[in-house]
Amino acid sequence: MTRSPADLLRLRRTRHVIYLLVAAVVVLPYLFQLSMPFKPSSWAEKLYHRVDSLKSGSHVLLSFDYDPASSAELNPMAQALLRHCFAKGLVPIVMTHWVTGVSQVEKLLRDTAEEVQKQTGKPVESGKDYVFLGFKPGTSNLVLNMGENLKAAFDKDFYKQPTESMPALTGVQSLKNIDMAVDLAAGTPGVEMWIVYGSDRFHFPLGAGTTAVQAPQLYPFIKSNQLVGLLGGLRGAADYEQLLKKPADATRGMLAQSWTHTLLVILIIGANLRLLAGLFRRKRTRDA
Amino acid sequence: MVYKRLIPLLLVFVIGLLGFVQEFVPHPLSGQFREEMTMWFRVIGGFALFIGAYSLLHMHVARIRRRMAGWGYSVFVFLGAAVMIAVGLHNGGLGPLAAEPQDRMTWFKWGYENIQVPCSATIFSILAFFMASAAFRTFRARNVGAALLLGAAVIVMFGRVPVSEAVGGWLFGVGHSGVFPRAADAIMEYPNLAAQRGIMLGVSLGVISQAVRILFGIERSYLGGSDE
Repeated sequence: MTRSPADLLRLRRTRHVIYLLVAAVVVLPYLFQLSMPFKPSSWAEKLYHRVDSLKSGSHVLLSFDYDPASSAELNPMAQALLRHCFAKGLVPIVMTHWVTGVSQVEKLLRDTAEEVQKQTGKPVESGKDYVFLGFKPGTSNLVLNMGENLKAAFDKDFYKQPTESMPALTGVQSLKNIDMAVDLAAGTPGVEMWIVYGSDRFHFPLGAGTTAVQAPQLYPFIKSNQLVGLLGGLRGAADYEQLLKKPADATRGMLAQSWTHTLLVILIIGANLRLLAGLFRRKRTRDA
Repeated sequence: MVYKRLIPLLLVFVIGLLGFVQEFVPHPLSGQFREEMTMWFRVIGGFALFIGAYSLLHMHVARIRRRMAGWGYSVFVFLGAAVMIAVGLHNGGLGPLAAEPQDRMTWFKWGYENIQVPCSATIFSILAFFMASAAFRTFRARNVGAALLLGAAVIVMFGRVPVSEAVGGWLFGVGHSGVFPRAADAIMEYPNLAAQRGIMLGVSLGVISQAVRILFGIERSYLGGSDE
């Protein structure tokens, strides 16, 4: 179907108006620093309580499998989880399966450790209070190797320190010895890989966090208890921040997301009402 | 023929069969075999990164040579790759084998944090604008199926954000502020879950049948060239 120049111009104008509206509802809430109360989802609560129930000194494997494109949604989740781990005295063992995410994860981990150190006054050191294993190729095969012998799979951490004698990894020889794992993923390799080759084989509780578009694919795994909890998109991160009682980036983003979703709903309903009105008008003209 | 077809097919059959059988044999030898094989797979996987980089650069060389539309962007691919490889190898003066220095900013770190991260995040964030425009123009209730999909999408989209609780409380009373989030959860936990399970089972069965076809040499497209 070819469109007339007038139609194309109208279409372009409509698109520009929509772009301006979206820009306004995204930017304005950040300028006014308003907040909006909300109740955390049950799946976020389950994940939070599972992490919270671990004893001080427990080892939590955090696999941050995403790149900068998904950082807006997943970085706040990663930060909230790390803050929770450090506050509880847990030992995060951090890694990534995405080569493009290594520097980003390293920076996030270092910044969060420094922030906790400033707040508590106690040193938070790599190799002692946390481990950053970095990236290695192999995806599912790497997970299988970690299940057999974690220190052989990663003989050195990201900072080239040997893992064999690392105080933070005392008592951890393989994935069988970790107390819990959480995978934050934006695609493949990600959560499904960790379920099939990690938690189902080596029997450790696994939680997950994903971008909002990916979350629906993981519902079968929470219903079958293969996942202990799920954080979906920025809302999932905001839920975790609220449970942690430390509102940060995700909570601030909730107002912008609320207004953007509302705008989308209004646009869709408006467009359909226009469609219906057109149909009625055509029917009336035909009947007349 | 023997080197290009028969030997690869035999290798796939033997290794594939051993990989399958070891899952059901609870013997230390079986575990050792798995450990050895997964190490090999990881080494081969490492080379795949080089093949990926080669393939990407090869494609862009062709675009520049043929002066295809937007070939100037391909020049930027080479510039970006060359600069990042050079500063990555330099590694703040420590060389490629040393750990990244933590006490100072390297050129590689600067490029990653100030170019790669904001550019990737910007491209992804533009999606919100396209989605809003596309939803307005194409999400139309033209028949019953489309109307059902539209209704579900609107409920889930609205129920997932905090404003729905405020609107629910205003419409149905403070005690019922969770009406929209609960409706969104119900859609996700029942119809969505059922559909996802169906898709996953279908995909898994397809993967199994494809694996059997490859194992027995019925499917040979991975060898390249024609089947004849």
